[in-house]
Amino acid sequence: MQGASSGIGYGLKYQARCISDVKADTDHTTFLAGTLSLKEENEVHLIRLSSSGTELFCEGLFSHPNEIWDLVSCPFDQRIFSTVYSNGETYGAAIWQIPELYGELNSPQLEKITSLDGHAGKIKCILWWPSGRHDKLISIDEENLYLWSLDASKKTAQIQSQDSAGMPHKISGGAWDPHDVNSVAATFESSLQLWDVRAMGKTISIECSHVRSVDYHPKRKHVLVTAEHESGIHIWDLRKPKVPIQELPGHTHWTWIVKCNPEYDGVILSAGTDSTVNLWLVSLGNDDVSTESQTESPTHWVDPLINTYSDYEDSIYGLTWSSREPWIFASLSYDGRVVVESVKPFISKK
Amino acid sequence: MMVADEVPLDDKAKRMRDLLSSFYSPESAMSTGTDSAKHASPDDINSNSFDPDHYMNLMVHKSNLEGLLQRHVEMAAEIKNLDTDLQMLVYENYNKFISATDTIKRMKSNISGMETNMEQLLEKIMSVQSRSDSVNTSLFDKREHIEKLHRTCNLLRKVQFIYDLPDRLNKCIKSEAYADAVRFYTGAMPILMAYGDSSFRDCKLASEEAMATIVKNLQGKLFSDSESIQKRAEAAVLLKQLEYPVDNLKAKLLEKLDQSLKDIQLKPEEIKDVSVDLTPSDSAHEASINEFVEAVRAFRVIFPDSEEQLVTLAKDLVTKLVSMKSFFIYRASLLSLSWYANFFMFPRNFAIAEEYVQTRVCAADLLGFLRVIWNDVLLLDEVLQEAALSNHSLEAAKAVVMSYIRSAFSHLLQDISDSLLKVLKKDETGEYSLEVALDASTKAVLQGGMNILQEFRKLLDHNSGILVRLRELTIDFVQEGIQDFFRQLEDHFLRFSGRNNSSALDHGLVEGAQGDKAFAGLVLVLAQLSAFIEQTVIPKITEEIATSFTGGSVRGYEYGPAFVPGEICRKFRSAGEKFLHLYVNVRTQRISFLLKKRFSTPNWVKHKEPREVHMFVDLFLQELEAIGTEVKQTLPQGKRKHRRTDSNGSTASSRSNPLREEKLNRSNTQKARSQLLETHLAKLFKQKVEIFTKVEYTQESVVTTIVKLSLKSLQEFVRLQTFNRSGFQQVQLDIQFLRIPLREIVEDEAAIDFLLDEVIVATAERCLDPIPLEPPILDKLIQAKLAKSKEQNAIPS
Repeated sequence: MQGASSGIGYGLKYQARCISDVKADTDHTTFLAGTLSLKEENEVHLIRLSSSGTELFCEGLFSHPNEIWDLVSCPFDQRIFSTVYSNGETYGAAIWQIPELYGELNSPQLEKITSLDGHAGKIKCILWWPSGRHDKLISIDEENLYLWSLDASKKTAQIQSQDSAGMPHKISGGAWDPHDVNSVAATFESSLQLWDVRAMGKTISIECSHVRSVDYHPKRKHVLVTAEHESGIHIWDLRKPKVPIQELPGHTHWTWIVKCNPEYDGVILSAGTDSTVNLWLVSLGNDDVSTESQTESPTHWVDPLINTYSDYEDSIYGLTWSSREPWIFASLSYDGRVVVESVKPFISKK
Repeated sequence: MMVADEVPLDDKAKRMRDLLSSFYSPESAMSTGTDSAKHASPDDINSNSFDPDHYMNLMVHKSNLEGLLQRHVEMAAEIKNLDTDLQMLVYENYNKFISATDTIKRMKSNISGMETNMEQLLEKIMSVQSRSDSVNTSLFDKREHIEKLHRTCNLLRKVQFIYDLPDRLNKCIKSEAYADAVRFYTGAMPILMAYGDSSFRDCKLASEEAMATIVKNLQGKLFSDSESIQKRAEAAVLLKQLEYPVDNLKAKLLEKLDQSLKDIQLKPEEIKDVSVDLTPSDSAHEASINEFVEAVRAFRVIFPDSEEQLVTLAKDLVTKLVSMKSFFIYRASLLSLSWYANFFMFPRNFAIAEEYVQTRVCAADLLGFLRVIWNDVLLLDEVLQEAALSNHSLEAAKAVVMSYIRSAFSHLLQDISDSLLKVLKKDETGEYSLEVALDASTKAVLQGGMNILQEFRKLLDHNSGILVRLRELTIDFVQEGIQDFFRQLEDHFLRFSGRNNSSALDHGLVEGAQGDKAFAGLVLVLAQLSAFIEQTVIPKITEEIATSFTGGSVRGYEYGPAFVPGEICRKFRSAGEKFLHLYVNVRTQRISFLLKKRFSTPNWVKHKEPREVHMFVDLFLQELEAIGTEVKQTLPQGKRKHRRTDSNGSTASSRSNPLREEKLNRSNTQKARSQLLETHLAKLFKQKVEIFTKVEYTQESVVTTIVKLSLKSLQEFVRLQTFNRSGFQQVQLDIQFLRIPLREIVEDEAAIDFLLDEVIVATAERCLDPIPLEPPILDKLIQAKLAKSKEQNAIPS
């Protein structure tokens, strides 16, 4: 299972937590990664996979004023991305634009389109409108949700609506439903909470402990996957929020992040603090899964774990599928190593 | 020479025979003659068609002089021989002829006197005949008259009889001599039929009336319970003779029999008695069965053509008897099922269990019961061989044995879960001992398993007819049962852990530690129990099965034996591992919760200078202690491993320690980048410490795993924070304090050292100004903490 590594490596200078697929770049498979260094000048790397698919090279290197805790590439403009940053004490969020490149790689400054001010607590993440060109953004801090309207040309962003979690626990992350753009999921310590964006009000709540990461199934409505610190990975159907459809054992230590493959149904990737990336294949059955089939499923249970990538030295916090070549994923471990792997040998078998 | 001698002799004898036969029967001689003539050539001297000239010519042509001479001599000798033969024949025949002539002469003289005698005899016979004719004619008239008178007399007597018939019948009714009455009536029947409409009208009516009462009486007799079976049978026969519609009666009687059958059945307490205590009610049961047998026998006599119904009836009886028992067993298992249901819904409802225990059945009872039934069946079999009752009851007994085996296993299952749940039960009183629960449940599994097999062995060893025939099947059932049992046991275990998993985790957080704690204990006990089953119970049971439960091959070979110890072992191994992991998880979660509280609450950037070791360390150590006691109660002690990696790791860490100290001392932030490089390099050169190793069934392994996971969590929590100098120093102090007690309880010091170092490194990385505490201050604070904790320990004692 832990055969010779086929991964292509790329080293960031510093420790790092976040990597993002540049969805808008349709010509190349490109990723953005930001470093997390308290004392050094942080960098954003634009990393491109060579067309042969055997090499990663740095397409751009930009300095970023603070350590980066979250980085998301804009889904419709490959030059725009968002970061959440911290200088150690306070947090901030901003939308950046990569300057036009003229072959020079020596740390040109990023153009800040706008900063999303107004947050008081620790900002956790920024969510882009899930599909197509749209001006809406959501930023989540420990207690609040903000819906922004972004005007890239005027370089302004305005808060459209806001809601506070109103819970004793703090928000740890979130995801925007690609099937229902009015719905946003946010993760709490002990639950998963859904918001209706239009009214900015809470809708469904799912009980689950220590959720760290959440991802919607890109093809199936109502299905989402959560990663929880101790109890692994759960797959939920929002229509039946009481019990998960399926449980996966997760990682030896915490399961940090989980990502559904954008193309292949049931292919799920998870990364954890045990320095491994796990590739899962789950059969979710038909859309109208009945409870009978669920209870039945454990009897002819096949190991959903297809492969474990263990060629890492430190905990892995960053993980993303490539949307251009959906069999490719990039992972980022805390020591700053980007590894791009292909899951083709495992998927083609299925 | 011999051959040469024989041939002429043969020739001679043949010739003699031919001659004689030709003499006595010329025809046959002719035929043989022609026959031989056909085949013989003219040169054959013995044939009729012998031609001397031709022969001479042939001889002259064929032979030389010498040959001819020799032939001549031979012939001369032969001729001589023939002459003597002829002479002998003539003499013999002559003698015979003379004696024949003598005999004929004697016969002639004897016959001459016979003729006169014969004539006299004829004459006498003629006279006798004429006399007898005359007598005959003289007596003829009288004889005819007498015959006529006799006929009239008979007729008169018959008429008299018919006229008397009603009276007679009434008399018979009075004396209850129904048999005679019926005989009379059937005798008179033809006449009544012929003349009933004319001359004997009144008579017929009267007798019919009488007969009607007779029939009525007979019917009454037939159905009255007080009459003996024989009498009833007689009545039935009589009725049948009267051409009464018997089928109807038969049906009614059958119904009655059926009724009485039901009477036999509906005595559950009797049956129960049979099962509980065999001897006293045995006789009662026997009696009722005997009665039934008698009835059946009588019935057969009465209605010889009614076997089918009887067969079904008897089958019914056996089925009922058996089903009585199986109902009994089923009830027990049903009870157990309901108990389970109750249990899962209301875990603390133990009262029902006791009722259930009372209804248990042991093999001896079953045997007794089967023996009773078998005896009954044998009795019935005598009466009704066509019923093939033994087969029928065999089937039924099969079902009973099967359900017995099943219920036995379900009892065992329940026993085991009972003893397991002592963990939870004792929890209510505030104390619980995993050791006791584990002991009890291992005992329950092993002893219970062996006992149950012993019981089954009784079934096999018993040599009453029915069980011998069921032997192979029983073996199969037992094997299947065991396989099923273990499967269910595993299921149960999983359900135990699963049931609490979802609820207990949430409740555990809300309700507090108690339920959660007990649950963790239960999981640990389950883990150890699974291992025990895999390593000890299964081999023992396999052995037992191999010695006494082999040879059941009814299933056929393609399926293989029903009991597959390998599969069960595999299942329990994986279950055990699962439980162990679950235990580790539950425990780690608690610690991780603690750590999370510790690290996410304070503002580390504005932390104040460390004054003492933080109290979360105490909580952490307390948790570990609790785990230690739990683990010590259940798991075996492992050998303290001094692995190769151990020594390597410790040297590596001691080597890397000064490097780190030095690195940390260099507070120059500009060197941070090279620091990172250094840590990377150090990691590269250090042997990769395996943090996540497989958990084993030893105290140390479990504790070590939990400590490792906790420290890793600690590291991760640290990474999420940003520290100022004081915060860093606080963490440094806490970790330093943890180092010694942790080393004492874990088996892999190197890994723990590495992880503790990692925590400090992570803190340093997340620190704006990483200046460590001076070693003397560190020491002082730790000593102060130690003194304080000593003091605290001293007070309660």
